[in-house]
Order: sequence, then C-alpha cells, then structure tokens
Amino acid sequence: MNDITMRDSMDLMEAGAVFNVDVAAVKTEADGVVSLELKSSYGQSLPGWTPGAHIDVILPNALVRQYSLCGDPQNPEAWRIGVLREPASRGGSSCIHEDVRVGDRLQVTTPRNNFALVDAERYLFIAGGIGITPILPMIRQAADGGKPWTLLYGGRTRNSMAFLDEISTCRGGEVHVMPQDEFGLLDLPRFLGAPRTDTAVYCCGPGPLIDAVEENCRAWRAGALHRERFAPSVKPRLETGAFEVELARSGQRLTVPPHTSLLSVLENAGHKITNSCRAGICGTCLVKVLAGTPQHNDDVLSDADRESGAVMLVCVSRSESELLVLDL
Amino acid sequence: MVDVRNVRGGDGLVGISDEVDEILDSVVESTRQATEAFFETYDKNPDPRVLAAWLEPRAWREIDYVFLLNEQIRRYGMGFSRTHITLLAKQSFQEAEHYEAVGKAIESLGGTVPVSVPEEARPWSEFLWDCLERHPLAAIAAWNVSETSASGSFEPTFRAGERHQFDEVVRVYRQIEIDEKFHVGLGRQILSSYARTDHDREEILRAMRGMRDIAWKTFTPESVAQRRRA
Repeated sequence: MNDITMRDSMDLMEAGAVFNVDVAAVKTEADGVVSLELKSSYGQSLPGWTPGAHIDVILPNALVRQYSLCGDPQNPEAWRIGVLREPASRGGSSCIHEDVRVGDRLQVTTPRNNFALVDAERYLFIAGGIGITPILPMIRQAADGGKPWTLLYGGRTRNSMAFLDEISTCRGGEVHVMPQDEFGLLDLPRFLGAPRTDTAVYCCGPGPLIDAVEENCRAWRAGALHRERFAPSVKPRLETGAFEVELARSGQRLTVPPHTSLLSVLENAGHKITNSCRAGICGTCLVKVLAGTPQHNDDVLSDADRESGAVMLVCVSRSESELLVLDL
Repeated sequence: MVDVRNVRGGDGLVGISDEVDEILDSVVESTRQATEAFFETYDKNPDPRVLAAWLEPRAWREIDYVFLLNEQIRRYGMGFSRTHITLLAKQSFQEAEHYEAVGKAIESLGGTVPVSVPEEARPWSEFLWDCLERHPLAAIAAWNVSETSASGSFEPTFRAGERHQFDEVVRVYRQIEIDEKFHVGLGRQILSSYARTDHDREEILRAMRGMRDIAWKTFTPESVAQRRRA
C-alpha cells in the first residue's frame, strides 16, 4: 500500500474508529504533568483535527481515558497529549505516568471535537491547570489568524503549570500566568466584569473554576462562553459481573449485563455473529480482542490462545477488565 | 485456529486418542474422495435429480440422528451431566432443522425426501442403532465418526455448487458445516468425559472403526446409481 492510499485510509476513518499509535516521546512538562507524542504505528499520517479536539486512549490496563490534543494541528505526523497525574487516579493517569514508555503501542480513537473554536473578533482564554491542553492550540490558531487574544492561566504553583515556554512564544496576545500560591484565585471579575460582544470566551479547567466563570459571564451575550470540564463525567457504576464492549470498527459501546451473554448483546444490537452451540464448544463465534482481558469460559480454545488474550468465544466468555475492545 | 478435537473434557480417551484421530482423518479423506468422484460423474451429466438422489441418504442421516439422539438421552441421559443432556437435545434439534433444510433442497431439485431408511443407507443406520444397544458411549462414538465424515464432503460440494449453481444446496451445507463443529466437539467431549474403563474404550474404538468403513459409502457415485436403479 503506498503512502497516499494509507493517508487516504486514515482520513476516511469513521469518527471514533480505533487504531494503533506508538509513543514517540515522553516529556515532563511540569510537576506532575507529562506529554506524550504519538505517531502512527504504520508510518501513516494521522487523521486531521482542529483545536479543542480530544481522543480516547485505550490504556494498557484497558481503561479508556479522554485527552485533548495539544500539539500542532498542522502536523499530520504526530499528536501530543498532556496528562496530569491525578492524586486520586483510578488507574488512568497513574498508568500513563508509571507504565507508558517510548516505543509502547497504544490504541486511540480518531479525534472528536465538542469544544471547537468559533470565529470571533477576539478571544479570552481561561485555563485552570491541565485545562491548558485544549486551549494551547486555540491560542496558536488565534495568533496565526492575527486575532487579538488574552490568556488567563491559573494553577497551584508556577512549577505545576505546563507549556509556559510555548505560550510565551505565541504572538499577538496578552498572557496572565497567575499561580495560586502567588496571586490567589483568578481575578475573574477583572477579566469578565465588562461584557464584550466581539469576544468569545473559552474556559477549560476544574469544575469550581468553570462554575465561577459561568457566574461571571451571566451578563455576557448567550453563546459567548464555551467551556469544557476535564474532570471525567461520572458514569453509572456497572453492576457486579457486567462489563462494556467497544466495537472497534464503529466505535459503538455496549454494556453486557451479568446474566446475559456477550453474544446475545451483540445480536440484540443487530450484529450477526456466526455461532452454533452457544456453549463454548464449536468455536464458530470466535472474535478478535483488540484490548482488554477476556475471561475465557469456553471448552475449546488452546492454552496458547487463552493466554494470548487476542481471541475469545463470545457465546460464553466474558471480561476481566471493565472494557473489551473487539474487532467488530 | 479452533480445533474441536481439542475440546476440554475428561481424560477418558487417553491411550486411544491417536487412533481416534487416525480414524477421523481416514473417514474425512474417504468421504472427500467419494464426493470428488461423485461430482466428476455429475459434471458429465448435471441432472438435478441425480444430485437429489445423492442428497437423499444425507437427509435420512439427519432425521435418524434425531431419533438416535433422543433415544440416547432417554436411555442413558441420567448418566450424563445436565449440561450434556441439554447439548445433546440441542444437537437433536439442529439435526431436525437439517432434515427440514436438506429436504427442501431435495424437493427443489425434483427429488423425494425419504421417510424411511433408504436402502443404501441401511448399513449405516443399522450399525448406528446396534452401537446404541451395545454400550452407552458406542453410538456417540459412531455418530462422531459419521458427523466428521461429512466435513470431507463440504469443499467438493461447494466447488461443484459454483460450477453448477446449486446455490440452495450450498447455503444449506454452509450452515450444516457450522453446526457440525458443535456436534463433533460435543461428541468428543462426552466420550472423553465418561469413558472410564478399558471396556469403554474398546467399545468406542469398535464403533469408530466400524463407522469409518461405512460412513463414506453413500457419497460415492456408485451409491447414487444404486439408488436410481432401485
């Protein structure tokens, strides 16, 4: 397959499609913050993206986490994500900080953007901590477009605030770096007290910051404020014995309840899976596993196949991880 | 990737598993050769009624399996686990589906679906039922060989189906090919789970050897010619 075809195939991927990337670089950006540079595992150009986009990263421990892309959208060869080590990590950020190394292969989805930069005459960017990651490429786009912009950037301490050097190289803007230990909480009334009709406000950070920005934007025109909370949305806890599957070719997510087979869930969702015994004997419902750890309950897979974790019989087998990604 | 001969179960076939596999390999090859020979003949005179005649003893096998499996459960089922009873009953149901599907294919070719044992299938049927009388595992061993034999017929049938466009027959046997993996795997699991004595193993081998010498014969062109003369 030549490069052009490969590039086209990446560009034509459906939103949410899963593919492999390799970790090309790991860099400490601040106290508790690392960035990962990701490149296609097959030398292809990566799918395009716009500032504000995020990807799902399927971690080696099968957890799935969302990270904003914070590199250069004009660079199709590499993506960059920034990851804060959360003190109360449930296995996502700690896995990246402790286990992910240069050369490791990760699975990611194509970018999605729920926080796109709208056209405006000027921009006010407000970032709290790791919330700088989606804001950084927005600043570059505004600067490259010759639009006036202001950044209000808060963090616990200056050393904990990532990408300060890069921000300082962006042209045409006004940067206010305000670590809390030096300046206290961000002085939002100073920046938001006088509503402007020509300004789009973009905010990303912890919930209390966003709540405060929303409060201070009450007098602004509707639609002026765009925000993204980087704290993960709270998912309803799965029942004991339940697990989720993601179908890599479509990105569809399904929940498998405790007493229902994965095969039945797939069939009920409209997927035709060859099968006969539904008892783990015939092997005809074999499916490739791309991520996660299957719990093998069949009677026919070889020990090597079981240990590889690369295939499973969906009629009887389940999951030891909270998520399985299947080649369907 | 998945080989149903490796299905997990007990160790009841330890010591005879090599011969069991040799028997299975042998009957697959005999059936493949018989099927190739049938379609070489059929290529010269592709008369759908000939194909129907070739399928008729196959249809009988399907319904005879239903009778046999149900009797196997009735007579010996309480010696098996509940799961194995359920799976034998499921196999029986699938065999009934196959009888219906093969029957429709036969009728679409202008043939008649057998409602009693065809003469050329009589040795096969009588041997199977004799095994059931002899030992709780013997009939399972015999139909395990018989079911396995069919796998030698699939590819020659599918290739001939492309040449002669008998798509419905191919469609039916594509499904049977899938179900057969279940039936063969189940048979092997039951044999290895419940064979405990040398006598058990002797009866298993006797049944398998006997069926090895019978199962492929109704696939030959000579068998079809015999049927059409009758």
